[in-house]
Amino acid sequence: MNDTERPITQPKSQRVYWIFQLMGWGLFSVSRFGAAIVVLDVPWMRLALELLFVDAMGLGLSHLLRDFVRRHHWSALPLRRLSWRIVIAAFVLGTPLGIVTQITGLSALHDPASLKPYAPNISFQFSLFDSIVIEIVNSALLYIIWLTIYFSAIAVREHRSAQFKQSELARALHLAELRLLKSQLNPHFLFNALNTVRSLIADNPARAQNAVTRLAKTLRYTLTSPQNELVTLSQELDIVADYLELESMRFEDRLRIELHVPDEAAAVHIPVMLLQTLVENAIKHGIAQLPSGGLLRVSATVQNGMLMLDVENPRPPAPAVTAQEGVGLQNARDRLRLLFGARASLELDLSHPSVTTARLRIPVKP
Amino acid sequence: MKAMIIDDEPPARRELRRLLAGFPWVEIVGEAGNVDQAAEMVETLTPELLFLDIQMPGGSGFDLLTRLDDVPQVIFTTAYDEHAVRAFKVDALDYLLKPIEPARLAEALGRVRNSQAARTPRPDAILEQIFVRDGDRCWFVPLREVRLLSSEGNYIRLSWGKANPLLGRALAALEQRLDPNRFFRANRRQIINLDFIETVELGVNGRLHAQLREGPEVEISRRQARLFKTKMSI
Repeated sequence: MNDTERPITQPKSQRVYWIFQLMGWGLFSVSRFGAAIVVLDVPWMRLALELLFVDAMGLGLSHLLRDFVRRHHWSALPLRRLSWRIVIAAFVLGTPLGIVTQITGLSALHDPASLKPYAPNISFQFSLFDSIVIEIVNSALLYIIWLTIYFSAIAVREHRSAQFKQSELARALHLAELRLLKSQLNPHFLFNALNTVRSLIADNPARAQNAVTRLAKTLRYTLTSPQNELVTLSQELDIVADYLELESMRFEDRLRIELHVPDEAAAVHIPVMLLQTLVENAIKHGIAQLPSGGLLRVSATVQNGMLMLDVENPRPPAPAVTAQEGVGLQNARDRLRLLFGARASLELDLSHPSVTTARLRIPVKP
Repeated sequence: MKAMIIDDEPPARRELRRLLAGFPWVEIVGEAGNVDQAAEMVETLTPELLFLDIQMPGGSGFDLLTRLDDVPQVIFTTAYDEHAVRAFKVDALDYLLKPIEPARLAEALGRVRNSQAARTPRPDAILEQIFVRDGDRCWFVPLREVRLLSSEGNYIRLSWGKANPLLGRALAALEQRLDPNRFFRANRRQIINLDFIETVELGVNGRLHAQLREGPEVEISRRQARLFKTKMSI
């Protein structure tokens, strides 16, 4: 377990800790003071000083205990292993506190002689050793209670923060899902494809049939592909090919396509719909904006355990509307980060004046 | 009625052509696949009706309209941008969603036929209205409502109501198509609408100062001031 996973102590919880410490020990002192005034025949000043000293020591020891417990991450232990640690720690701290209590004379609180008037029928016979053991047990019990309260408070706090994280996570997932759906179902493509099909029914019925089949395949892949699932590049290319076939029917000779994907690259796993998104962007922001269209090139290589996938399209002189491209790209980057962390990347290379290249880098082994 | 189809997708053009075969009174005089080509063809073929796609390479359907001197009737055809058309401030225009429903096409064409006081645009005719785009907003601006046209480089700034949209053409070119009974060249940079003149005051050096209703004061240069006096018989 490393330190970054520990709940970070915020100033607020630090303050709450001190309020509890001072209130707890303070109340304890006051109640003992009250009892002592009634039972003991000791000047109250001396009593107060002794109590202050003993309880300050108790508080100090408990604070040291807290540091120790935090450094050794006791709150992460299972309950059984925690329990016997609590007992041992309580006695380790209870021993010096008990001895000091005995020495200061506060133990007179538990002195048989002073208790005699309250329980005249019971005989009290205590040696000094007995008295010290009683004081140590008393102090140890005090620390057991202290540690129980402490770990209960931590458990409550961690439970709350876990709940909060869970709801945050659920929300983030939901959001990602929504954005994914948005980027997948491209209504512009869908309705244009339907229009193309309608036109083909009269022009070329066989092609129209072909188009309907491909449209069905594209839609099925789009609607059923679960989020965050990896597919091989060759699986994704199948669907991209269907999509490109449909777009070719729409754009006719304005869309020219080149695919270079060697077998070793085709076997690499990539996030589902990622290449599809890149190709859609290339058509929407590149080919579709150019009166004479252009070449869409998809090329992949594997180098040093990385898949390098480039999608290239001609760039119109004044790139129109970049906002939607931003959503698609941002979405793709989010998914990459969730799946591969910092090992994958997606960059848009605009260094060439008339060509846009989307460069995807994904580790071969996920 | 002469019509033109402007769409970058050949299958979409073919489909529309096929649908329009059911309306013999609509004669398709040309097809264009992008804005540049379309602008040229509209000027030479002078169609009375455009079937206009919105998303096209090299500029949108709106861009085409801003480039035309004389905008014919327009029916937008679009696969998914109906929101773009709805945002459009002109109710005179209709739109059809692709794939086009034959019944909706018949409806739209019926409206075109009824609304049209069958005006056949001629290249030298006086302009009644002008299509203006300012950011996301588009208007058909009736020129009689324009107070002032000011030249700003290669653009014209229109003073129209509360709006001051820019028009992407030169003042000198537009001047020839303005109604000479309504518009007057005040100086090298400005043309004023005579209907909007509130007062005229004499200035130094034979210049005049015309105060426009809702608008700025415009200086009439010395040379133009003489013309102005003759025209207004003062």
